[in-house]
Amino acid sequence: MKQHAMIRAALVATLVTALTQGVTARAQDLTDVNEIVKRANHAAYYQGKDGKAVVKMTIRDAQGRERQRELTILRLNTDDRDEGQKFYVYLHAPADVRGTVFMVHKHIGRDDDRWLYLPGLDVVRRIAASDERTSFVGSHFFYEDVSGRGLDEDDHELVETTANFYVVKNTPKDPRQVEFDSYKVYVHKGTFLPVKIEYEKGGKVYRTAQALEVQEIQGYQTVTRAKMEDINIGGETVMEYTTVTYEVGLPDNIFTERFLRNAPREYLR
Amino acid sequence: MNRGMRMVEFSMNRPRLVTGVMIAMTAVLLLLAALPTLFPGVFFMLPPLRVDTDPENMLSSDEPVRVFHNQMKKALTLYDIVVVGVVNDKDPDGVFNPASLEKIHRLTEFAKTLRWPRRDDPTQYDGVVVSELLAPSTVDNIEQGGLGEVRFEWLMPEPPRTREEALAIRDKAMRLPFLKGTLVSESGKMISLYLPITAKDQSYRVYSALRREIATYDGDEQYHITGLPVANDTFGVEMFIQMAISAPLAMLVIFLLMLVFFRKLVLIVSPMIVAILSVIWTMGLLVITGNTVHIMSSMIPIFIMPIAVLDSIHILSEFFERYQLTKDRRKTLTDVMRTLFMPMLYTTLTSMAGFTSLSLTPIPPVQVFGIFVAIGIAAAWFLTMCFIPAYIMFIPQKKLENFGAVHAAGADEKPAAHTPVERILGRLDRFTWRRVKLIFAGAAVLAVLSVYGMSTIVINDNPTKWFKASHPIRVADTVLNEHFGGTYMAYLALRPTGAAESAEDFLAGMRERLEAFVRDHEGMSPGLVEAAAALRENADAAGARGADADALLAEAADFIEERLAAAAGDAAYAWEDLARFIGVERQRGELYKQPETLRYLEQMQQALEATAIVGKTNSIADLVKTVHRELFEGADEAYRIPDTASAVAQCLLTFESSHRPNDLYHFVTPDYREGSIWVQLKSGDNQDMNRVVNAIAAFTTENPPPFGLEPEWFGLTYINVVWQDKMVWGMAQSFLGAFLIVLLMMIVLFRSGLWGLLSMIPLSLTIALIYGVMGFAGKDYDMPVAVLSALTLGLAVDFAIHFLARSREIYAEKGTWAEAHSEVFGEPARAIMRNVIVVAVGFLPLLLAPLVPYITVGFFMAAILFLSGATTLVLLPALIKTLEPLLFPKTRVCTVTCHCGTCIVSGLAAVAVVAVNVQQFLHLGWTTLSWVSLAVLPLIAASCWLLSRRAQCAPPDDKPSC
Repeated sequence: MKQHAMIRAALVATLVTALTQGVTARAQDLTDVNEIVKRANHAAYYQGKDGKAVVKMTIRDAQGRERQRELTILRLNTDDRDEGQKFYVYLHAPADVRGTVFMVHKHIGRDDDRWLYLPGLDVVRRIAASDERTSFVGSHFFYEDVSGRGLDEDDHELVETTANFYVVKNTPKDPRQVEFDSYKVYVHKGTFLPVKIEYEKGGKVYRTAQALEVQEIQGYQTVTRAKMEDINIGGETVMEYTTVTYEVGLPDNIFTERFLRNAPREYLR
Repeated sequence: MNRGMRMVEFSMNRPRLVTGVMIAMTAVLLLLAALPTLFPGVFFMLPPLRVDTDPENMLSSDEPVRVFHNQMKKALTLYDIVVVGVVNDKDPDGVFNPASLEKIHRLTEFAKTLRWPRRDDPTQYDGVVVSELLAPSTVDNIEQGGLGEVRFEWLMPEPPRTREEALAIRDKAMRLPFLKGTLVSESGKMISLYLPITAKDQSYRVYSALRREIATYDGDEQYHITGLPVANDTFGVEMFIQMAISAPLAMLVIFLLMLVFFRKLVLIVSPMIVAILSVIWTMGLLVITGNTVHIMSSMIPIFIMPIAVLDSIHILSEFFERYQLTKDRRKTLTDVMRTLFMPMLYTTLTSMAGFTSLSLTPIPPVQVFGIFVAIGIAAAWFLTMCFIPAYIMFIPQKKLENFGAVHAAGADEKPAAHTPVERILGRLDRFTWRRVKLIFAGAAVLAVLSVYGMSTIVINDNPTKWFKASHPIRVADTVLNEHFGGTYMAYLALRPTGAAESAEDFLAGMRERLEAFVRDHEGMSPGLVEAAAALRENADAAGARGADADALLAEAADFIEERLAAAAGDAAYAWEDLARFIGVERQRGELYKQPETLRYLEQMQQALEATAIVGKTNSIADLVKTVHRELFEGADEAYRIPDTASAVAQCLLTFESSHRPNDLYHFVTPDYREGSIWVQLKSGDNQDMNRVVNAIAAFTTENPPPFGLEPEWFGLTYINVVWQDKMVWGMAQSFLGAFLIVLLMMIVLFRSGLWGLLSMIPLSLTIALIYGVMGFAGKDYDMPVAVLSALTLGLAVDFAIHFLARSREIYAEKGTWAEAHSEVFGEPARAIMRNVIVVAVGFLPLLLAPLVPYITVGFFMAAILFLSGATTLVLLPALIKTLEPLLFPKTRVCTVTCHCGTCIVSGLAAVAVVAVNVQQFLHLGWTTLSWVSLAVLPLIAASCWLLSRRAQCAPPDDKPSC
């Protein structure tokens, strides 16, 4: 347990130094919280016109038992306002769910459209998206963590500016929709990547997302290893982005129901 | 005897010293027990008081069933559960109205706060496991959203505002098999919340907090809290409370009764002191030796007290009778002690034997209980012998001036019967002298009836039934089990235990499956046939090298990756398909994704539910079926197990995209190799659990599980069956052993087999009557009854010992029973009668206790004393009269070995004792032992015959030497 904590501390330390070294000249600190969250949102979800990532997901339960999943996430921005987006998530492993596809058309201001394709049953189903805070393929991440949470759903407050981070506290406008009271995001000043998110309920942090590794890919600072912990459930999930490519040139038509059954294989490897 | 009397004399000579030592010992024991408890850590050499109310500890922690239970509990992250049922009788829709649901929501939110930082590790919590709580606001609803749409949402994200919304919640829940009968009652009118707790010993704290919270709610709702952990933990707590009430109450009644009989306050304080000191010594020793105070040990005081008082009452009774004859404390006391010493020693030894026999049972807390009660009895005897004489010496002579029975007309004439006790005894005396035949006939009828009654006894137990029917826990139990699937949880695990498939079989099977796969896919995947052929060649080659299944598949996967990297176009798709095929082959070990397994679970659940005891079952099969149904537009015919492992896996993946993905892993381990069916029973009776176990055993014999899966039970309801079974049988065996030991002791005491057997008759009849009545009354033979058999044995023989010892003494004086019997019915019988009344009545307040085991103790105590007193005073005199020539032979030699009959009886008893005990320890079958025993018996008979023919056994010519 203790050893675990130490490894974690070491990881964060390396990460922080890596990030600070990566930035040479630093602009004047920002004070406008809306600007900060806007940039952070862009850095986390909207870099490039499109993107592709092959992800190795390790779900570890409270007893340390692991399950592996392997998936490809395709993403296409449908506007340049950092709003509309389309996702195509294809599962490679385990073998018995290979070919399963989750597709999301993300909208700001209204519910997203979500689809699910299950090859073993040969069914395509739309999934009512009233609640996005459900588990993403059984991991500790939620759908919302993968596709992003609308900026207008929370009130933002810049609570602290440290040497490296803007600390933004976000309080939901409609607390009935979510299970937390608020969450704090540590936005790295240089890259605007949110490197740590702490969800609170009743004054206690119970859920923590962390960026464990950041790399520059095609000029974009990219989180390549991320972890989500939940002390209520116990255990954690680590997502490892083994290959990340930006500006793939994904055609818009692959984000349609037709391509659920016939996966665009050339874009998935 | 002489040595014993010297001890008594020493106490009479040095009362101050004896009392001082006694007080000092008590103080030391008290301090040693109390200090480490009050200041933990300071006295690190000494263990503090530790209380353990977990009935699971009735089995030692390395007992296989407990090890397995804990292993599976961990593997499936299962918790012990507190169940809160909410009922609303006033509303036609039950609790499905906005007001009730609002309260349920509030109670749920309150329940989420019921956790506390752990003492040794503040980052961890004890109490309710919040993420696993089952309530309308914390579970998911899966349903159709619209055309081709599936919806996952909280069942009740917030309390509804209208009646329609409230009813909608009910209708949604009733459609979900894992909520219907669990969260919502079958009638659709009640809701149960399920609060998983980190450990069983948290349940009383949670229970109390919930009760306090509920007390602040108004409205028509009733709340019922139950579940085995609550019953267990609450029972433990209330047991200790009962101890603090019942024992002093019994003492008070005994005290008052003694006051009525002996009318001298200063004198009757002494038995009280003896009883209290014996309890302090025993419990002090228990704590100091580091034994936990378990539910069983909490009952030690209530067992020691009556036994401690018995001897004192005999002494006081005698003292009371004789004092006025001499008016000399010392002389009276010496006479009294001389008369009573042997009977008291033997009654103590027999009681100790009864309880020590419990140490032979396979239940650790019962062993501790038996040993420490025996120690307490020894302590009580020692205190009686030393302290009572010392105490009497303290009392100034003049204070005793008017004490005791006044023998108006001198010692030789019979005193006038001026008390009810004396009148009754007088009548009894005449009755037993004249109506011998009637008495034998009556006893025979009673014995026959008792044996019949005993044959109807049912061995059964249910810890919830240790509470009276009116106790809130029993009420909750009744209500919830009537309306829900059942609150008693047991789990039926299915795990692979057989050997793995051989490499050859696997390869052959895989080739077949590959062929089928190619057949299914070749139409859509050009190049698949060629690729598959290459793969088969590769696999055959690996098989020929002797690779096992895992190595073979790993090699095949590498082979495919290689080709995939090199391929393009259609060929790449073909290799992609084969990669999927190999992937599925590699997952064949994930048994709980195989449709065969799930279908078998489905059948097993039907078999379980067909027993009518099981109200509901849940398994991974239900999850898969429900998801499958909702994926196919909610059609009822889609409520089935899909046909392929990957279809099952995809249903499960869909389920994992809900709010509570981890619910899945309560049914199956993450490697999908082990899993269990949750079985909700409506009754926690051992018999019912056993019936279910038998039903499943029959089912699996007829329908062997696939993949070499083996069924095995766990869960608290099942564990209870195991330990209670062990306990009841272990107890029955130790009882038999103790009975024989007591018989041996009696033979030694009376130096006669006949007398020994005679003294066992009241005991045997008492036991037969008590258990016979139990059989007729339909009371189950359960754990408390089993423990009490030891008490019966130890106590029921006491009066016979006193009666026979005194009869023999008086007979020696008078020469014939005709002369002796009236005197026996004088003072000795009065002492017995006083004891019967004092102790039997003293324990009657226990009948009012809210816990059934206490009622049982009270009933037994009264029954033992009353029945053994009655049989002793009625049957024994009749038997003595009939057997007079045999019992009092005119010539005799006082060596046991000279009496052929006595010798044979002792030999038989000794062999039986050895046989019973050896059987318990060596687990030898009865048949082997029986043969050995049978061989030993003629040897004993022969040697007895030879011994009795020795020259020195020849009767002396002149007169009897004894």
